[in-house]
Amino acid sequence: MDCIISVKNVTYEYKNEDAYRGEEAVVAAVKDLSLEIERGSFTVILGHNGSGKSTLAKMLNGLNKPTSGDIFVDGINTKDEEREIEVKSKVGMVFQNPDNQIIASIVEEDVAFGPENLGVPPKEIKERVNDALKSVGMLDFKESTPHRLSGGQKQRIAIAGIIAMQPECLVLDEPTAMLDPKGRAEIIETLIRLNKEKGITVVLITHYMEEAQNADRVLVMNDGEIIADDVPKVIFSDVERLKKVGLDVPQTAELLYNLKKNGFCVDTHALSIKEAAEEIIKALHSEE
Amino acid sequence: MSVLEVKNLTHTYSGNTPFVNDAVSGVSFSVEKGEIIGIIGHTGSGKSTLVQHLNGLLKPTDGEIFINGENIWDNLKEIRKVRSKVGLVFQYPEYQLFEETVFADIAFGPKNMGLSGDELKTRVLETCKIIGVKDEFLEKSPFDLSGGEKRRVAIAGVMAMRPEVIVFDEPTAGLDPKGRENVMSIIADYRNATGATVIIISHSMEDMALVADRLMVMNNGKLEMCDTVENVFKNGDRLRAIGLNVPIVTRVFDELKKAGITLPDDVFTVSRAVEVLKQIKAGGGDA
Amino acid sequence: MLRDITFGQYYESHSLIHKTDPRIKIILLILLIVFIFLAKNGFALGFAVLSVITIMLITKIPLKLYFKNMKAILPVIIFTAVLNLFYGESGKVLLSFWKLQITTDGVSRAVFMATRIILLIFISSALTYTTTPNDLTDAIERLLSPLKFIGLKNAVHTLAMMMTIALRFIPTLIEEAEKIMNAQKARGADLENGKFTERVKALIPILIPLLISSVRRAYELAEAMECRCYNGGEGRTRMRQMHLAFRDFAVLGASLIICGGILTLNILL
Repeated sequence: MDCIISVKNVTYEYKNEDAYRGEEAVVAAVKDLSLEIERGSFTVILGHNGSGKSTLAKMLNGLNKPTSGDIFVDGINTKDEEREIEVKSKVGMVFQNPDNQIIASIVEEDVAFGPENLGVPPKEIKERVNDALKSVGMLDFKESTPHRLSGGQKQRIAIAGIIAMQPECLVLDEPTAMLDPKGRAEIIETLIRLNKEKGITVVLITHYMEEAQNADRVLVMNDGEIIADDVPKVIFSDVERLKKVGLDVPQTAELLYNLKKNGFCVDTHALSIKEAAEEIIKALHSEE
Repeated sequence: MSVLEVKNLTHTYSGNTPFVNDAVSGVSFSVEKGEIIGIIGHTGSGKSTLVQHLNGLLKPTDGEIFINGENIWDNLKEIRKVRSKVGLVFQYPEYQLFEETVFADIAFGPKNMGLSGDELKTRVLETCKIIGVKDEFLEKSPFDLSGGEKRRVAIAGVMAMRPEVIVFDEPTAGLDPKGRENVMSIIADYRNATGATVIIISHSMEDMALVADRLMVMNNGKLEMCDTVENVFKNGDRLRAIGLNVPIVTRVFDELKKAGITLPDDVFTVSRAVEVLKQIKAGGGDA
Repeated sequence: MLRDITFGQYYESHSLIHKTDPRIKIILLILLIVFIFLAKNGFALGFAVLSVITIMLITKIPLKLYFKNMKAILPVIIFTAVLNLFYGESGKVLLSFWKLQITTDGVSRAVFMATRIILLIFISSALTYTTTPNDLTDAIERLLSPLKFIGLKNAVHTLAMMMTIALRFIPTLIEEAEKIMNAQKARGADLENGKFTERVKALIPILIPLLISSVRRAYELAEAMECRCYNGGEGRTRMRQMHLAFRDFAVLGASLIICGGILTLNILL
């Protein structure tokens, strides 16, 4: 497998100070975790709050360094301080709150921020900014003020800001958590397009199950460990396990799961509305 | 008498601000005691503007709002009293926490209403009991709590005013599934304990199908529909025309109907769907 | 209320002034302010008023936006004018009571001062409306760049970065303050009534959440900047290059004529 990121036996610990009791405890947010992300793939990491998924994300581009173990981005160890900038330009990060990622008051100037930091020549920056804005469908808003855009639009600007650095991989930490359904759909569409058309590797962290349906691979995290790693259909058919770790399943999966429990002969791997309906029809006919 | 009645409410923002506005025009409805009302609609459809009128935070350009039959703007000086009758929980309410202890923060609302001493203490403790804020939290700083707990405490701060009508603007925004479930259950707990009316703005049709008695559909500042959950979700095409949709399970049932299976129109939740399909199976095929 | 503050907000339009190099604009702003305060007689000041109005018209910015900025600063203007009113030492006495007296000299001082401040606001607004905040900070950074020869390179870059971020977050924080105010009002907080001390106390429930959220934002922004390879001013390039064009010199020339005009009128009349 040609992998862009490989995580090897990584543990991340932090000190949790309980100011109230005056106690101090070492907590492991990520425990002896190993993982490889294939170049060009679309991976979704699911997990409830506190499952360690954000901590893992912040280690993938070297923002946080593992307490033990190593992470390699395109063969570069994220602990290598001399190549820190290189790692960050290869693995771009997008966070939850779009407002807190936008630096400039004009869209194109914000998108230019990354390439400017990388010392890209002015003429090339302009081209990169236009390309990046085009790829997220926001070229018409080039001269707008981010402040007046919708949440989904602002988040797309944040993504463009990363794309302009021409990264190989995009890691997004709950980019849709603060958006309305329309904004969420915009972001997911954009990510799928970037993955398909530009071949950018996508690692999407979320707790919205329906966003995982289009992924090549879904990882489920709980308590700092990966407890499941498979294609979406298989992950979602195990409704009980997901509920046990505080996650939800798409309503189609829940329906099929409940039907099966009630003696219906359905394949719980169906995810889309059409597939689910077909399964139910099959089950009803088989009764006759 | 309705606990809350809105007549022909219109709100236009003064035109010269460069900010995005969502106006409301000609909205009328009434709400009975103990009802759970869901408000659905796009961002910018006027939902947030509408609910800020219910407790007098915004003054209507035109139209009236009655609480227990009294026009809330009849006496300008009394407008603050309306705030304890209609509680409003904003989006991300945890960002309003400011006191040193959880107790003091929950007490802020009732204190503003004039409660003090033992009465205030009882009120805070009662509220915590209803919605399950643990005693050990009360002396902690609200900023030391986890995200989900912070939100619970912030909601408690509004509930402690004992509003007869409590309005939530996207109460589950940004939470994980467990957190969402918790918030929905404390809303139910408050209603069961106090008999209050609940109004919830939500983007989740699935959640609304589970909890709401009636739905208000907002579009472009107008009240597009205001009816029972059943009657609103029966109008799938009308909802889709304004960019909304019916719950996923209902969409599965629509597919089944298209395939020629005769099914009832009132399937909006998974449990109801399973029940219906079980009946059909027992009755032998697609009856 | 808070939303009425538009100062520091760029207004998109395609006028000559919009296209002028921001460095030239800043220099001219300073120059014009100096000369507005140098205008000694009615003719010179009148000429300055006409010039500023012309500039305002050239910017193609709706005039009401200029006046909106005025509203916020009106108390300052009135205060200065009143103060000047009593400062007249010579001239005909118009009114006198207690130890104070208003003379014709005082009236003209008051009018002059008020006019100067108003012009100052108009002309600064013309700069901020026609120049994006980033251009503005860029220009300041470039104008101050000679300081790097005395070992202040990082200081200049840091200052410019701070200004960029501050300008970017002003509208966000205003909106946030409004949200928090509404939320506390919904909890029965009384922000409008009461004695001065009570009102100050009533601000605590607004200021603390605002402060906490600003710290959170700052922390998240720092992480986001790090992820975008920000590493200080070293080795940074800029997308926008600034080149002086013919129009910049034309604007410069026109402005020098204005300054010269004020000076001449000062001397001649």
